[in-house]
Amino acid sequence: MSEPTLLRVREVTTTFDTPTGPLTAVDAVSFDLAAHESLGVVGESGSGKTVLSRTIMGLQPRRGVSVTGSVLLNGTEVVGASEQAKRELWGRQVAMVFQDPMTSLNPVVKVGKQIDEVLRVRLGMDRSAARARAIELLEMVGIPAAATRYSAYPHSLSGGMRQRVVIAIALAGSPQLLLADEPTTGLDVTIQAQILNLLDEVQGRLGMSTILVTHDLGVVATRTRRLVVMYAGRVVETGTTRDVFARHRMPYTRALLESSPKVSNPSHTRLAAIPGRPPNLLDLPAGCAFAPRCAYATERCHHERPVLEPADETGHLFACFNPLPLRAASPS
Amino acid sequence: MSENLLSVRDLTVTFGPRGRRVSAVDGVSFDVAVGETLGLVGESGCGKSTTGRALMRVVEPTSGTVTLEGLDLTAASGRTLRERRTAMQMIFQDPISSLNPRRRARDIVAEPLDCWKRATGEERRRIVDDLLTQVGIDPVAYGDRYARQFSGGQCQRISIARALAMRPKLLICDEVVSALDVSVQAQILNLLEDLKAEYGLTLLFIAHDLAVVKNISDRVAVMYLGRLCEIGPADTLYAAPAHPYTRFLLGAALEADPEAPRRHEILEGEPPSPLDPPSGCRFRTRCPFATERCANETPALTEVAPGHRVACHYPLRVTVTPGPATTRTGPTGSGPSDAT
Repeated sequence: MSEPTLLRVREVTTTFDTPTGPLTAVDAVSFDLAAHESLGVVGESGSGKTVLSRTIMGLQPRRGVSVTGSVLLNGTEVVGASEQAKRELWGRQVAMVFQDPMTSLNPVVKVGKQIDEVLRVRLGMDRSAARARAIELLEMVGIPAAATRYSAYPHSLSGGMRQRVVIAIALAGSPQLLLADEPTTGLDVTIQAQILNLLDEVQGRLGMSTILVTHDLGVVATRTRRLVVMYAGRVVETGTTRDVFARHRMPYTRALLESSPKVSNPSHTRLAAIPGRPPNLLDLPAGCAFAPRCAYATERCHHERPVLEPADETGHLFACFNPLPLRAASPS
Repeated sequence: MSENLLSVRDLTVTFGPRGRRVSAVDGVSFDVAVGETLGLVGESGCGKSTTGRALMRVVEPTSGTVTLEGLDLTAASGRTLRERRTAMQMIFQDPISSLNPRRRARDIVAEPLDCWKRATGEERRRIVDDLLTQVGIDPVAYGDRYARQFSGGQCQRISIARALAMRPKLLICDEVVSALDVSVQAQILNLLEDLKAEYGLTLLFIAHDLAVVKNISDRVAVMYLGRLCEIGPADTLYAAPAHPYTRFLLGAALEADPEAPRRHEILEGEPPSPLDPPSGCRFRTRCPFATERCANETPALTEVAPGHRVACHYPLRVTVTPGPATTRTGPTGSGPSDAT
């Protein structure tokens, strides 16, 4: 790989204490992310994708959660880092765009002031420099009449505009890694296309790495270079986005691809639905978590947990005892 | 052409007092034939849900008529309305909040039967158990569980069973799969297709997801800012949209395929406020082909191909070539090169 590694995630496990026992939301997840690279993390609800992104950020409640493993961001360990040390990272090294632009902004503070805050606290800019830079950032994220909107309150902006403001705040500290957790869920399709284009554009312009966390395979298909597929807290397949789509080996990946309706298919195309539903994380099966829903499961799958193994030399890994043959795995 | 189960004519819904009037639905007309699925698609605020609700008179239409099996529902009232309305059932977006968490699955499904005193005792139990089985909920194991004990997908199945209890002719589905995970979404879509065949249902399927709507619909209607832009057979409308808005909307749809061509035609800006909609064609403020005529004259729905109607002064040309392939080109004269 030509680019240096920016983020090294090794055996990260996040466990929550719940009244009914420990719940492992992220289970031994490992991956690398190179500088300037875009990675997609896909999975259904409860697959651990959001908890994973929060663990990478170092955003956990103080009590009731334990994280083991290692998250090395540009050489700095995030797991177990002090609040003080994490504040050094947030904004300048890593920033996050959350799903809901309605609630991630402070409703009683003007949007410009919310960008200023990052610039002044994190970068130590003075008031007027921060204001000028904030307006510049608002322009960069495509907000018309940026100087006027600087003084607008979040409620007067549409969902798409608010998400642009959230992105401007994330970009304010020129982070090297941008984590976007479902950044377009809840937005209309035409607005979603605008926001995804914006993220693409700023990534290229600022030379950031991005992690795009989503349940929507359409969002990651053309926007990321590599992909991590998660199920019940574990990585079940990873590789280049092209490989995962066209040469996937894990039955869950295929099931996920085939169960989503496609605009290019004629109407009334029967969907290959996955029977059952995602497992209860408090009561995971002993073997492969997907085995109860899997058409290819054998006795072994129910007792033994498969580990990630290489499919080829390109870094394509999958965790399955009965992988799909390559030919059959190509899209029909 | 089979007969129409539902006819909607000039349906208009406005909210709010004089001066702050929001035109949510403005002069929408369409028919739904017996046994067909009409998809109603559009972005948030386009009036698709309000249209669905106005058909049921959950919100009162300001004007226009809704005719179900030859009877004008907008003129009916009292018992006549309630009785006729049982032929039309609605399923909502959020499956969990549409069920009372403290009631048992069986009682939820039986409620319409109880209201209308359609069945009691053993018969009631048999109907309810049959319905639950039909939607994939085992009545013996799960029938007596409370709604709060079910997942979103299961709640949606129970909602569907409840809607079917009155043996409706028309099912109005308002964003019924948008809160569900893809794997569960596929189960519910397949279930709706199966039930439709089994019960001979007619569906009005309201959703924002273009792929979902195409998958389930025979015909699709596209709405923008309270008005119908385009209506036509699903496959041809998607292959050759005649309204510029439909084309942008389809262009923004993401395909789960890394090899899919990246489209560069992106619709800029956001829909104007329905408090003060643009004159003439409501899409003209964002339309690259708009002229003065679009500001002065409201385009009427005009047929551009058999069964395919569009409300645009300068529709994109729809050329139906022999065979299944359909090609599309820009509007006459000033069109941009196509994006595929």
